[in-house]
Amino acid sequence: MAQREALGTSPEEIHPTYPYKVVLLGSTSVGKSSLAYRYVKNDFKESLPTVGCSFFTQTLNMEVATVKLEIWDTAGQEKYHSVCHLYYRGAHAALLVYDIANKETLNKAKLWMRDLEKEFLPNEIVIALVGNKVDLAAEREVATEEGEEFARTRGLLFMETSAKSNHQVNDIFLAIARELLQREQEKARAPSLHGRSTVTLGESRVRTGCC
Amino acid sequence: EYEEKTGRAHKPLSPKQNVRKNLDFEPLSTTALILEDRPANLPAKPAEEAQKHRQQYEEMVVQAKKRELKEAQKRKKQLEERCKLEESIGNAVLTWNNEILPNWETMCCSRKVRELWWQGIPPSVRGKVWSLAIGNELNITHELYDICLARAKEKWRSLSTGGAEVEGEDAGFSAADREASLELIKLDISRTFPNLCIFQQGGPYHDTLHSILGAYTCYRPDVGYVQGMSFIAAVLILNLDTADAFIAFSNLLNKPCQMAFFRVDHGLMLTYFAAFEVFFEENLPKLFAHFKKNNLTPDIYLIDWIFTLYSKSLPLDLACRVWDVFCRDGEEFLFRTALGILKLFEDILTKMDFIHIAQFLTKLPEDLPSEEFFTSIAAIQMQSRNKKWAQVRGMLIFANR
Repeated sequence: MAQREALGTSPEEIHPTYPYKVVLLGSTSVGKSSLAYRYVKNDFKESLPTVGCSFFTQTLNMEVATVKLEIWDTAGQEKYHSVCHLYYRGAHAALLVYDIANKETLNKAKLWMRDLEKEFLPNEIVIALVGNKVDLAAEREVATEEGEEFARTRGLLFMETSAKSNHQVNDIFLAIARELLQREQEKARAPSLHGRSTVTLGESRVRTGCC
Repeated sequence: EYEEKTGRAHKPLSPKQNVRKNLDFEPLSTTALILEDRPANLPAKPAEEAQKHRQQYEEMVVQAKKRELKEAQKRKKQLEERCKLEESIGNAVLTWNNEILPNWETMCCSRKVRELWWQGIPPSVRGKVWSLAIGNELNITHELYDICLARAKEKWRSLSTGGAEVEGEDAGFSAADREASLELIKLDISRTFPNLCIFQQGGPYHDTLHSILGAYTCYRPDVGYVQGMSFIAAVLILNLDTADAFIAFSNLLNKPCQMAFFRVDHGLMLTYFAAFEVFFEENLPKLFAHFKKNNLTPDIYLIDWIFTLYSKSLPLDLACRVWDVFCRDGEEFLFRTALGILKLFEDILTKMDFIHIAQFLTKLPEDLPSEEFFTSIAAIQMQSRNKKWAQVRGMLIFANR
């Protein structure tokens, strides 16, 4: 894997730790809390509606670095929209979650995408589009290709998951962690080309040996 | 009984019976001590050693007996305390029913009543006191509730049959929005206090909760249903009859603080957070500095606490006691409670970083000790440089303009 090369070139960077803020966005009851719960506790239970935001942490010991994910699980109801920027501000990654059995939730995810584009520069944030509830295959309203296509045109990671049956939940978070590390390397490799990177790092409490 | 057990324990037991198999012998916690001889297939202990073991055994039994006695005393004391508590609740019920409630207007603000109020309102009069304290500024009658409910039912019907759009004075609110609201209510009802198992589909209060929330969206289409409301309505339903719960619910949400939050008026919410921070710094300067350093803003934990009036984050009995005093003191008590929580956990919070504080505060420990909790709240001063909550808020709103 390419990302292993650049990191670890100097002794103090042999195994750095990167904390990343990951925010879960999407309509109400698409399964944001359940995805976080499945990922962190490997369990599934009916979640209470999230009011405001709830928080999870997960540490990943990757070969080149330790990644600490700070997961911000936000309230889905649209009425909370006006406070949501409080939550995604300074995020390193976002999961745009929709429910494959509810077409409208994909449209909402696209609206979230627009919000993120306003808040962040391209490449400033890793975004994944996540079609959850594949266990409800019989009620599917959104074809896999449809999500895939939208993700492809916008350069997003894409996966279909099920928090209930534990399908690809780890995988999507892992993919995000990999992507974040890879971007970290690119920044380390060419700091001068990313004039903004120092600013981003400072804001986001990332400890790195570079710059 | 005890003698009998130890007596029986001396009987020689067959090999492998250290797993106690004789079922007539029911070991009771600490007295279940058994002195066994060596298994028959091994040489017997020397007399000296056997004597020593017997002595040690007897000492253990004495210790165990002491412990049991102590525990029995403790249980007795607990029982006495519970009786005392029940008696004091009983007395409080009498005081509330016979003295305070009949003379509400004159007595509700007296020192004696305020003190009794702080102790927690007995559950049997809680609903009445809440109703009186919240009041009915909106002049909602039971008939109005019935009208709103009938309208809500009509909308549910037309939605389920996919019928024509209901035209009316609230036509300004998009059909899709309303539909989403009604769908969401259905979804959230089963997610409201799931542990109580009474609001779920088929549970005794499912329809009541559904009705109140539905009627409210018809009564206030401009506010509609906002997540968090289901918890407030549920707590009211647990203490009041349906129509009275609706009246209390609507009036409660009509209070300035609740309106600001449920309309998600971000600007106004910020003034509440700012006022909160004034008192935070005043009461807990060290923790305040620690939060600042970690960029931990009050919205992270206050949004959930204020929206649900603590009913989602605190154990229900504690939440009800917070509601008691909230009904007495108004919005400032919500923020005082928040500071009480921060104070109670100050030591551990000071050692945590951002994400762990956020995690901790959005999921408080389930076994909060109620007395310590209220002592902690009582220690919070809601006065900053001689200014009270309302004055500080007023200044902040003014400065915001």
